[in-house]
Amino acid sequence: MLTIRQNLMETIKGGSPDRFVNQYEFMEIIMEAPMGTFVTPGQIVKNEWGITFSWPEGQLGGFPVHDAEHKVLKDICEWRKYVKAPAVNTSDEAWAAAVEHANAVDRNEKFVTPFVAPGIFEMTHHLMGMEDALMALYEEPEAMHELIDYLTEYELAYAKELISRLHPDALFHHDDWGSQISSFVAPEMFEEFFVPAYKKIYGFYKENGVELIVHHSDTFGANLVPSMIEMGIDIWQGVMTTNNTPELIKKYGPQITFMGDLDSGKIDFPGWTPEIIAEHVERACKTCGKLYFIPNLTQGLNFSSFPGVYEETTAAIDRMSKEMF
Amino acid sequence: MSKILEVKAKVEAGKTKLIAGLVQEALDEGIKAEDILQAMVDSMGVVGDKFSTGEIFVPEMLIAAKAMAKGVEVLKPLMASDSASSLGTCIIGTVAGDLHDIGKNLVSMMVESAGFKMVDLGVDVPAQKFVDAIKENENVTLVACSGLLTTTMPALKEAVETIKASGLAVKVIVGGAPVTPEYAAEIGADGYAPDAGSAAVKAKELVTA
Repeated sequence: MLTIRQNLMETIKGGSPDRFVNQYEFMEIIMEAPMGTFVTPGQIVKNEWGITFSWPEGQLGGFPVHDAEHKVLKDICEWRKYVKAPAVNTSDEAWAAAVEHANAVDRNEKFVTPFVAPGIFEMTHHLMGMEDALMALYEEPEAMHELIDYLTEYELAYAKELISRLHPDALFHHDDWGSQISSFVAPEMFEEFFVPAYKKIYGFYKENGVELIVHHSDTFGANLVPSMIEMGIDIWQGVMTTNNTPELIKKYGPQITFMGDLDSGKIDFPGWTPEIIAEHVERACKTCGKLYFIPNLTQGLNFSSFPGVYEETTAAIDRMSKEMF
Repeated sequence: MSKILEVKAKVEAGKTKLIAGLVQEALDEGIKAEDILQAMVDSMGVVGDKFSTGEIFVPEMLIAAKAMAKGVEVLKPLMASDSASSLGTCIIGTVAGDLHDIGKNLVSMMVESAGFKMVDLGVDVPAQKFVDAIKENENVTLVACSGLLTTTMPALKEAVETIKASGLAVKVIVGGAPVTPEYAAEIGADGYAPDAGSAAVKAKELVTA
């Protein structure tokens, strides 16, 4: 029997896996690295960039607040006046828990995988609101290029510290690039503004020993897959069924692996049942196949919103492994 | 190219910095404000169709709507107060328990471009608030309810049922990622649209039928 790590590599290289890679099992996700303030349920917080997030009780996630009072970037042409990157935390104390976690991982079995979020695209709209961010790509492209370069430099500075402390095997990086039915921007615009930034960021991780880039975007993004490959993404996590995942696997399989095809919205809800989960998992495994595919809830971390869903999905994938391998 | 065709083309291309000047030039040439407005509404119809078919994306739609808004600013002093919103008032909001606003904002923009006056109640809107807004605003012809989460589908149902139970003569349109035409019909909505472009078409169809 292959180790979890070997089985992952066989799956993404088009070899001979002996079972499905089961959801997030190959990543030991390091959440303890000092990435700044994140909002938790019931809170309103302002992070180190000055962005205010609100997560009302009972909601499934937090949202940046963009009323006139709270919007950080009020005029893209004056972004230097409004946007001040925080210093990357370089204290041993701040990194101690992450280092301890990374050191405890059996790297023959799993990939030490730091979690990094939000990404460059999300940062632009967290700072200024979605409408302003998207319109600025047209109206003030030079300023947007400058802002994106500035955000990229910050990511690279953080990456340098993270790599020197944790020596990660993989990276789990979040940046949602679309809605459930379309990408937010056209592939050409994505290529102009965001691909160069990510080529730098992901290139830096790879040049420094990171073997796998796993990118989360639980959206439509089929039209962006060539860009994802160009950026150096090895695994796109969060691929929704709206992308027609089996077709993507046929078209791009040897170049990138697709992780998801189990839409959290359809499975992870209060009325879930083992039967609903089994039906979705069977469909995903049978239509997507054994190579370049990892069955997984599209949610961006290794848990579910409603108790029991993640575990039941894992059990259903195990059953499909027994049936199909 | 005639000035009115130029206005149309520049709205569609989202030339926000040029449109006010062009609209003024069209007026100076003696073209009626109402005709210029109609040309811009038609342009936004084209933009909406292109968005629905995936030919253009959100930034292109936003920029076109902004261009139209700049053109309307020039026309407003010359027109009767309500002629830019001849289809009546549309109340819009994301239903209770749901904080997503991007899709709702896009729909609002496109429905406004089609000729409605918009009253945006924001996100996390309780069912009764939609009813109160219908009563508090003049000439409400349409209510648009948005819900993005599977978990807020029951709130969408409650919103539609509460509006219908009020007996007020308005049409209700619903949308959002998990909503299907079948679900919209099941909960008693008058219309459904899968995206912002088709929402504008459907909105117009519902109130002019």
